[in-house]
Amino acid sequence: MRDETIEASTIGQVGRRQLLRSTAWMSAAVATGAGSWVIPGRTAYAAEPIRVGIATDLTGAIGFAGNSDLNVAKMCADIINKSGGLLGRPVQLYVEDTASNEAVAVGNVRKLIQRDHVDVVLGGITSSMRNAIKGSIVSRGRTLYIYPQLYEGQECEEYIYCTGPTPAQQCDDLIPWLIAHGGKRFAFPSANYIWPHLLNAYARKSVEKHGGEVIFEEYYPLDQIDYGATVNRIMSDKVDVVFNTVIPPGVGPFFKQLYEAGFLKRGGRLCCVYYDENDLNINASHEIEGLASCLDYFRAVDALDPASARIQQMYDGMFAGNKYLMAAGSAATGMYRGMMLWAAAVKEAGRLDRDAVAHALDHAKIAEGPGGPAEMVPGKRHCRMRMYIATAKNGQFQIEAKSSGLVDPQEC
Amino acid sequence: MATAFNALFEILSFTSIMVLVVLGLGIIASMMGIFNFAHGEFVLLGAYFTWLGHAYGLPVWLAMAFAPVAVGVIGLALERLVIRRFYDRPVMAMLGTYALAVVIRETVRGLIGGLYLNVPAPLVGSVTVDGMEFAQWRLAIIAITLLVIFGSWALLAMTSFGLRVRASLENPALARASGISTKAIYAITFTFGAALAGLAGALVVPIFSLFADLGLRFLIQGFLGVMLGGAGSFVGPILGAGVVGSASAALPWVISPVVADVAVFVAAIGLMKLLPNGMLAGRRV
Repeated sequence: MRDETIEASTIGQVGRRQLLRSTAWMSAAVATGAGSWVIPGRTAYAAEPIRVGIATDLTGAIGFAGNSDLNVAKMCADIINKSGGLLGRPVQLYVEDTASNEAVAVGNVRKLIQRDHVDVVLGGITSSMRNAIKGSIVSRGRTLYIYPQLYEGQECEEYIYCTGPTPAQQCDDLIPWLIAHGGKRFAFPSANYIWPHLLNAYARKSVEKHGGEVIFEEYYPLDQIDYGATVNRIMSDKVDVVFNTVIPPGVGPFFKQLYEAGFLKRGGRLCCVYYDENDLNINASHEIEGLASCLDYFRAVDALDPASARIQQMYDGMFAGNKYLMAAGSAATGMYRGMMLWAAAVKEAGRLDRDAVAHALDHAKIAEGPGGPAEMVPGKRHCRMRMYIATAKNGQFQIEAKSSGLVDPQEC
Repeated sequence: MATAFNALFEILSFTSIMVLVVLGLGIIASMMGIFNFAHGEFVLLGAYFTWLGHAYGLPVWLAMAFAPVAVGVIGLALERLVIRRFYDRPVMAMLGTYALAVVIRETVRGLIGGLYLNVPAPLVGSVTVDGMEFAQWRLAIIAITLLVIFGSWALLAMTSFGLRVRASLENPALARASGISTKAIYAITFTFGAALAGLAGALVVPIFSLFADLGLRFLIQGFLGVMLGGAGSFVGPILGAGVVGSASAALPWVISPVVADVAVFVAAIGLMKLLPNGMLAGRRV
């Protein structure tokens, strides 16, 4: 009771004028919507800009990935605008935060469509996010949607284009390599959601086709952080290769427990196909020595591909001192391909009409990108790209193998 | 046989972690009647300060020793500024501490860029006994947990300070009339609880790595432990945490982990139905 009277009298002391003044910014924020902003092209153009919607997770659990994606989108817009824009018009980014939260995201993405009338939307990182926002963009919004993250495949809806690696791209070269450089006895410890289930189904076929066997495939709650039972099973069943799809926060303690149990000392091979440069910090480097990953880009690719090195250098120059890396597991490289393939399609179509751009995007190609060239597979709305197998050595990825050409996504 | 020993060690080690995390939560809930939803974030702060100290070049063990002090100071400041206003309104206290939790968590997320950061353990490597590997740091955590439990128990049960804390809990008006400054007692108790959370965070960060949702992971199971053991005594929450911790570490050895996760909660709720006043109903300290 006493406290309430104090509160009431404090409000009295603030005064109406001050209250108005202090809340004015709030009404402005409510009107425009917090977390949305516009990044104008740097060059001055007479023509009305082309509107590109970026909907990605700038805050929340996977904010680190979303910020990398936004950085890459800014860099691509810069490249496009410096080379004269598209159809004589500059490109302008309209950014909305999907906040690692599907409920928040849907409302924010609608703003891109209904208020900003963007010509294309790129973004979404998790599959659940893609599923939450795609309807607002593609069906009700009648807009193109480009999804940049590596994922479990099977997204075959019209007007949705996927520019990240699929299970086929991540497994086809990797599984035989693992059997040659690890052994035949596989374990599939996995987080219990859609991506591990579908990836494992593909990987299991591949393991069996190449003469290996899956000793066990087991699913854990997403927030499980103690893996004593799993580690014991891996050790006592003499598993050679741990094909891991446990995600953070569990993956760090899991790898640590495996290391402490002597899995690496015994010659065991860790494998985790979403692992990029960001994830190397989760464990001490000796705990994950030799961990194999298979992605479309690693920093170490720069030594093999001059175009990749140039793009990486441009990124580092634009975002010097920024803690968000251009890492493949964050969807940053898929974002680059998405932006540039879309730009190529707009150039070919000569207009922004959805069907015309979709028709051109269906067979769009880019000669350069992080990791190498890329092209859409006609009729499949997925992307052929070069893939690399890398292993962690002393806290850095080192390239072990490079796909002979562009790897087919084998989707749809 | 080797498997049984391994299982026992893993279960014991996870149970100690759970108890360590719940200790501060239990003390604040039992001695002050506040359900501190920011407790997980105090654990996170302990982990964060350990990482910070290490990043600035301190040896890990020194950073670990510094973390509880820093978290205790923050706890004291929050008690004086915010928590004390909620003592007679427990429901508001939950909302208020929840809000604090969000502020702390998102601030730390911003500071570490939302990444997962590794902190080395002060003791690296394993002890090999009869072909079985026991991680040294996990052994150390088990030992430290036992020490901390004994220390806290001795403080509350055997010193005159402990007596005053319990007096303030049982009958604040009478305690004040007897010349005990309940205001000071509450402030010290909350600081102590926060420092224990900070210690827990500092000790577990080498195992789980530093990430913004570290505390959140333990909060629900921690509360389950407190409810199960019964708030109002010192030993109750520890027992509760022991049961929840060992069950959630032991069940995945025998049944599917996804089922085990749910089973722990179902079993705990069942137990609460049978023992509505906690496992130590009626007994104090």
